[in-house]
Amino acid sequence: MSAPMEVVVCTDSASQQLNCAVYDLHSGTNLLSYRGGSTSAHCLAILNGEYLLGAQLGKNFINVWEIQRKDQLQQKIICPGVVTCLTASPNGLYLLAGIVESIYVWEVSSGKLLALLSRHYQDVTCIRFTDDSSHFISGGKDNLALVWSLNSVLQTEPTRNPEPRHVWTRHSLPVTDIHCGLMGPQARVATASLDQTVKLWEISSGELLLSVLFDVGIMSVTSDPCEHYLFCGGSDGNIFQVTLCSQGIQRDETFQADREGNQVFKGHRNLVTCLSVSMDGSLLLSGSHDETVNLWDIQSKQCLQTMNHKGPVTNAFIMPAPANMFYPDSRPSISLPLFSRHLNPSDPGEGGLAEGVNLRLGLNTQGMEDSYLDKAEELLTLMSAATNKNVFGDGEHTRMRVAELEDEVRTLKKVNKELYEFAAQILTKPN
Amino acid sequence: MTKKRKRQDDFQKVKLRVGKRKAKPDNTTNVNFRTKAIHITEQLKTDQSLPATHRKLNIKDLLSQMHHYSAGVKQSALSGLKELLTQHSFVLQTHLSSILSEVTAVFTDKDPPVRSAAIRLLQSLAVRIPPKHIAPFFPLVSAHLSSAMTHITEAIQEDALNVLDILLEHYPELLTSCSSVLLKNFVELISHQRYSKTLKTPGWILSVNPDRKYSSQKWRLSVLTRLCKFLQALVDQQPTAGQNCRAQADTLEIDERKSSASQISPLDITWEEHSFGTEGIQLFENSGSQPNVKSCFQLRTSLGLVTVAEEGLTSAESLKSFIQTLIPILFECWIEACPEDRTGTTPGNLLEPDCILLLYHVLSIICLLRQLATTQNLFPNMESWFRGNYLNDFKNRFMKYFPYSEVEIAKHRNKGVKRDKSASGSLAGVDTLSLNLMVCRVMVPMTNSALVQQDSVWLSPIRMFVTQNLSCDSKLNTKELTGLLQVVWRLAVTQRNKAVTEELLRAVQLQYQQRSLIMPIRILLLRFFRALYLLEKEANPQIAKSKVLSRWLAKLPLQLAQLGPRNAQLSAHLIEIIHAAASRANKELLQGLQAQICHLYDPDDGAFVLLPHECQQKLVQLLYFLPSLPCELLSCLSHCCNGGRFLASLAASLIRIVHIRSSFVAWVNYNQEVAVSDADYFSFLFSCLTGFAAEDLNMLQRSSDVYQTQLSPIFLYLTDVEKFMHHWDVAEEVCLCLATISSRTQCLDILQNAICKNLANLQVIPDSTAAAVLHAVSKLLDLAYIPSEVLLRFLANCCCSVLLLMLEESDSEEQGQKREAMWGACLEALSSIPRVLRLMLQSLRVTEACQEVIPVVARMIRLLLQHTQLRNHMLANSALLQQIIQEIMRCRSGDSREQWFAELQYCFSVFISGQSRGTSATQEMY
Repeated sequence: MSAPMEVVVCTDSASQQLNCAVYDLHSGTNLLSYRGGSTSAHCLAILNGEYLLGAQLGKNFINVWEIQRKDQLQQKIICPGVVTCLTASPNGLYLLAGIVESIYVWEVSSGKLLALLSRHYQDVTCIRFTDDSSHFISGGKDNLALVWSLNSVLQTEPTRNPEPRHVWTRHSLPVTDIHCGLMGPQARVATASLDQTVKLWEISSGELLLSVLFDVGIMSVTSDPCEHYLFCGGSDGNIFQVTLCSQGIQRDETFQADREGNQVFKGHRNLVTCLSVSMDGSLLLSGSHDETVNLWDIQSKQCLQTMNHKGPVTNAFIMPAPANMFYPDSRPSISLPLFSRHLNPSDPGEGGLAEGVNLRLGLNTQGMEDSYLDKAEELLTLMSAATNKNVFGDGEHTRMRVAELEDEVRTLKKVNKELYEFAAQILTKPN
Repeated sequence: MTKKRKRQDDFQKVKLRVGKRKAKPDNTTNVNFRTKAIHITEQLKTDQSLPATHRKLNIKDLLSQMHHYSAGVKQSALSGLKELLTQHSFVLQTHLSSILSEVTAVFTDKDPPVRSAAIRLLQSLAVRIPPKHIAPFFPLVSAHLSSAMTHITEAIQEDALNVLDILLEHYPELLTSCSSVLLKNFVELISHQRYSKTLKTPGWILSVNPDRKYSSQKWRLSVLTRLCKFLQALVDQQPTAGQNCRAQADTLEIDERKSSASQISPLDITWEEHSFGTEGIQLFENSGSQPNVKSCFQLRTSLGLVTVAEEGLTSAESLKSFIQTLIPILFECWIEACPEDRTGTTPGNLLEPDCILLLYHVLSIICLLRQLATTQNLFPNMESWFRGNYLNDFKNRFMKYFPYSEVEIAKHRNKGVKRDKSASGSLAGVDTLSLNLMVCRVMVPMTNSALVQQDSVWLSPIRMFVTQNLSCDSKLNTKELTGLLQVVWRLAVTQRNKAVTEELLRAVQLQYQQRSLIMPIRILLLRFFRALYLLEKEANPQIAKSKVLSRWLAKLPLQLAQLGPRNAQLSAHLIEIIHAAASRANKELLQGLQAQICHLYDPDDGAFVLLPHECQQKLVQLLYFLPSLPCELLSCLSHCCNGGRFLASLAASLIRIVHIRSSFVAWVNYNQEVAVSDADYFSFLFSCLTGFAAEDLNMLQRSSDVYQTQLSPIFLYLTDVEKFMHHWDVAEEVCLCLATISSRTQCLDILQNAICKNLANLQVIPDSTAAAVLHAVSKLLDLAYIPSEVLLRFLANCCCSVLLLMLEESDSEEQGQKREAMWGACLEALSSIPRVLRLMLQSLRVTEACQEVIPVVARMIRLLLQHTQLRNHMLANSALLQQIIQEIMRCRSGDSREQWFAELQYCFSVFISGQSRGTSATQEMY
């Protein structure tokens, strides 16, 4: 069997043995399961396709598995407080954790704590990155959603507090979930809140585009990759589908009446806490507090599969299968360092190391190709090498060669002279 | 001889006689004719094609008269034009170009009456021509205006300012587009260039012209007033791109926040609208729901006359040079009005009213210039540049006699002076307070948090002035207060000294505590504190730690509770602030809120039930942030829910919020603090389900307005439809909440206990309660759970009574919804709990019933028989059914041909045959 393209990753909060389960998206067969502990909501992250990180429920550490060694807990990262949300940047360079009211930004390669962002007034509930890792959005129980530019966060001076790029204050109850679309800094962001609304924002301008008011509090939100539909998981177990691009075509009355009931996915009996759409936008995954994970066909709104869990589902998402996942012999390219717990480690022993700049390129950028200038230079040396080698070889060879050439010149001159004399004779010969 | 004859001829004696007329000489002119001037006041011919004035002059005639040499003709033509255009406005559309070119040309006319007529005409035109239409002609207008402003005749200059006034009022954005020329004209109006050998750059000095009609000070005042207005328009015109830096630079952008938010209009829809397909969503890139058509590109410059090199104040250099030109002139004006060293008795801070006005304008021009620079974000180090160049000058000039006060002009009892003073004072609304305030506004931005220590010398009088004005009892109007608050804001943000900040805030607090503040002022103060609080975390720790601020916050809930329903607008503001602070988990506020919470949510006269819907919604959401929901509060809330004083949807969201704060939902992590104890939570849910308080239920027991028949085991109290539906919606929400609780059997146990204890022993029960209980139990019950006998009997009784009630009652239209709900609830209960059906059938004691009831019972049984969902259960009880039918047959009196009985018999026979067929079918299967 070839390795699946996309996998479903789920965690629930009850079972102690089985922490995280991985299913095949299409067949629903259980492929892997990672053991030990249990993971709290919004706290499961894949780092660089090599590590699986999950914050322990109600405790102040993060469990780390190498993604191919499912049965063995590789490491525990001890944190300063209970982790409320966790995410890793898509390029695998940074790890972000919301710990109580603050967001901790770690550099993965060195384990240094780069920044401590404390602009939220209450617990952070959710952090999401844009797909190019340039920005991240954090939502909190204080009704705020903040957009941060990662670069400016990292570049602010240590004495000053980093400022978010946008502060979105239009929600009136805690933000429960955030979805960030594609296209990097031009993405649109959907935020769900207990105040029964889902709001759609734009990162580039920071403006509110759309606000949809529901009958129940919304616990989770996602959209398909094309952003045609917005899926909102309600606290009553229904999943609402909002159509974002209406063509404005007037359809027949009968069809409309028919369509009306069709925009709700009905099946869960309790809070829908996680939603995710497959890469092709045809399948919707939903995890709920009624201890099931459902897979829906978006077109027909039928439930294709139900995966039963032992406790309320805390995380469920669809992701492309990492390369290492199914090759038990593979090794991660980097080993995780110790993550520091303080902003400015004042260890004198580390002084020498801290002087230099730690450069660690991402996987895709590591084997960087030479620039065109380098290539051109290389080509030039290659081309000139042939002649150089012949003409200016080693000393002995050169001298002989010079002598040879001088001889040839001499003979040529001689021939030339003879030719000249002969021609001159003929021309001047009086006849 | 000839000589002699000549003589005779010449000297011939004319004989004059008395009584005879004197002969007329030959060369006399006959003056016997009389002349008459012909005034052609109106034309004879009436050209119907064009509208005309009352003098029958049409537009062409009038325009041609504008070139007449005589001033009178021109003036009458202008007034004719005015008349024509006011009556026939369509003429304006077609002849706008020629009209404007003629009218603007006479701005520089040498005759004052013509000019004033032109101004009057312009006044009436400006109302009619929208800026869009006049835009193409505006270069012409502004050219004529500036030529009038720079005219050699003073009177024309003065009139040009009037023209400017009109244009500024109606076309500010067009006028500001040609600012470069006009600003220079302003400078030239009050000063002249001084070329001296010593100075490299030509400086400007104030000019004094003794020929002017007005005194030069008055003239300056009028020019400065216009300049001030013009700059204000320029500042207002700034593109919104500068909004961000304004938010940082300008201090109190309370009102501006709303305007900036409206830049993009977000689309607000509700789920119902969307799901019914009435509203499609269309989003546009960068502009929300409306496509953004605003473009900053221009195909040609709007001013053809202005050369590109001579741009207005849009570049840093030009603005800088303009400031450098203008400020020395302004200083001169200042010195003239308020001499540096006064000899004599008058102290330096006493000013005459005219001076005050002048000084005020000087300061506001400086203020506007600075604003202009900061909004355009031209040079980032603007503040430091200002500080470096002008701080000392400002200090020496403005702060020397600060604060200023008005001189008592008791000596001049002259009536003219008095009138003049009152006129000028009332016109601009300028008194010493606003002058002093302006000084503060100019001076305070000069400092910043790093330099505040150095500047303490000149900051302290400002602080003192502000504190005094705020804490004194005098009534301030909105404008003054806004100014004061802006100064306080700036000082508070820059100051790093806790004591100083506290003192300032205390002054504002004192102002806030005044009793009879008018509404806008109260709201202004509220907003000030709110903005200060919201800034807390970003700005500086002094504000965050401020005791005044935290005390103010802690008192808000009390104010809200005391305010009650008296002022909804103010309550809305208070709630907004409380909400913001609660969401930030502000300890003081939450404590204050917790203390007042039962007053706020009192079901009878609390703010919650009395305020309008939007406030109620906010208050419901506020519940989420409470650290704990005590038992008393929950009972208040359940009363509120049952009271029906707000919408059912709001009650549903209230229940949901309490649910989320209970221990059964942990949406984020599992160790979240639980606000509600489980027992309280269940009793809350149960009282919502019941819909009536215990006292009310007891009252009902004695009520006479109940439905009862001989057969119905429980008496039902009839609620009206509205209340029933409200209760029904609430009950549905309660069911949903109960359904999500994970251990179903325990939950059912609790519910059963509650019903048995509170409801089962009652004689009278409201019909809505009966329906709700039936609905809830049937929804929650699963097969594994065995309910107690008491509960089952109660349910059976409810079912029986409700069914009888429905059959008895007349079928009215408005009762439809209610009937449907009740019928649904009964069927649900009967079909999901078979024993209830059995008990109900057993309890039908037809033999004891009187004759009237029997047809109703028969109808009930027939309906139950016909229902397919109940079929299997009915089959199980067929023996019982048969017995009942026999009893009915026995009991009924007289005629057996009655229709209801025939129907019953028919149904039963069909049912029995179906049963036998069914059993045979099953037998075949085996």
